[in-house]
Amino acid sequence: MDCDKCGAEAVMHAAYSGLHLCEDHFCRSVEKRVRSRVREDGLVPDDATPEAPDTWIIGLSGGKDSVVLAQILHETFAEDPRIELVALSIHEGIEGYRDESLAACEILTDDLDMRHEVVTYEDEFGLQMDDVAADDPENMAPCAYCGVFRRDVLSRYAERFDADKLLTGHNLDDEAQTALMNFLEGDLTQMADHFDASIGGFDTDGAKAGQPRPRHVPEDMVPRAKPLRDVPEKEVALYAHLRDLPAHITECPHASEAYRGEIQQLLLTLEENHPGTRHSIMSGYEELAGIVADEVREDQQADYGDCDRCGAPTARDVCRKCALVESVTE
Amino acid sequence: MRVTVEVVGEDTHEVEVPADATYADLLQPLDVSPHEISVLVDGRPVPEDATVDAEEVTVLRLIKGG
Repeated sequence: MDCDKCGAEAVMHAAYSGLHLCEDHFCRSVEKRVRSRVREDGLVPDDATPEAPDTWIIGLSGGKDSVVLAQILHETFAEDPRIELVALSIHEGIEGYRDESLAACEILTDDLDMRHEVVTYEDEFGLQMDDVAADDPENMAPCAYCGVFRRDVLSRYAERFDADKLLTGHNLDDEAQTALMNFLEGDLTQMADHFDASIGGFDTDGAKAGQPRPRHVPEDMVPRAKPLRDVPEKEVALYAHLRDLPAHITECPHASEAYRGEIQQLLLTLEENHPGTRHSIMSGYEELAGIVADEVREDQQADYGDCDRCGAPTARDVCRKCALVESVTE
Repeated sequence: MRVTVEVVGEDTHEVEVPADATYADLLQPLDVSPHEISVLVDGRPVPEDATVDAEEVTVLRLIKGG
């Protein structure tokens, strides 16, 4: 089977586009999609200069997605003095699993000569996810605790490093799952938050043709972006494999997002029978979430105050993270 | 034709397919979506819609999280 671009031996077939690509054209196509997304979302602000660069934190777990993201961003921006890249890894206290993936992070960041910071739940909250998963005082999936702690760490450290943006390695499958979950849960507020926090555009001077609607970044919040969100998960994995990137290949031992797993299977079946489903879900969802955000935003602003304990923005007296830390360390 | 399909980290299957079968056809007995795996022949990825041209293939499963 030959590459549709050059006739060399193909390494993959993308059913949604009908293309067969060789290693070289496939890798270029992944890189091109990431760069287009960076451009379309308006990630590089017009006022970034070598003297006042835009600082981007890359959430680096050592898994394939974040490793591919860090590698491509490095190749795109290492020579660009307007952008500063910092990798941030979190050790949740998952023995074995996270030690190995942090080793992958070290190899990559050494290789790229990229600044790399590691934060632990132990230092931050005095807890280990292995214990939380075993004790489970709130009767929840481990991911539910871990997600709250992770968001807290990422946003606090993004602020501490004076970051302008927080970039994560979510791929097309991840985002299409989230979109479908938000839709099936009927949660418009969640959709609006998703748009303003991570998928809306940064260009505020009116969306040009083909560009996403602009997001409104809430005060005190470091905005997120997902430059891999046009690339299917399988292609991210293939890219990491072909370029021999040091990605860690074990699943978290506590992984347990049952509903997401169900949605994932549903999406894969749809994709198999109707190639392009993930792409069309996302293009409709991005538009829809932008419209919803414009509607919902007005009503929401009011009741945010500061957490009595940690000062984080919250609608309650004590934020969710502080409540969970208390519950698991009691 | 008979093809040996090794799923890395799991088990190995002997799969019987017609001569014009594709690599995707080899996945039928494995209960995996082509979107969750890569098929390798001699360590090189191959398009899943290509006609099988090997007696042994390796199947790499995707790992979630990253």
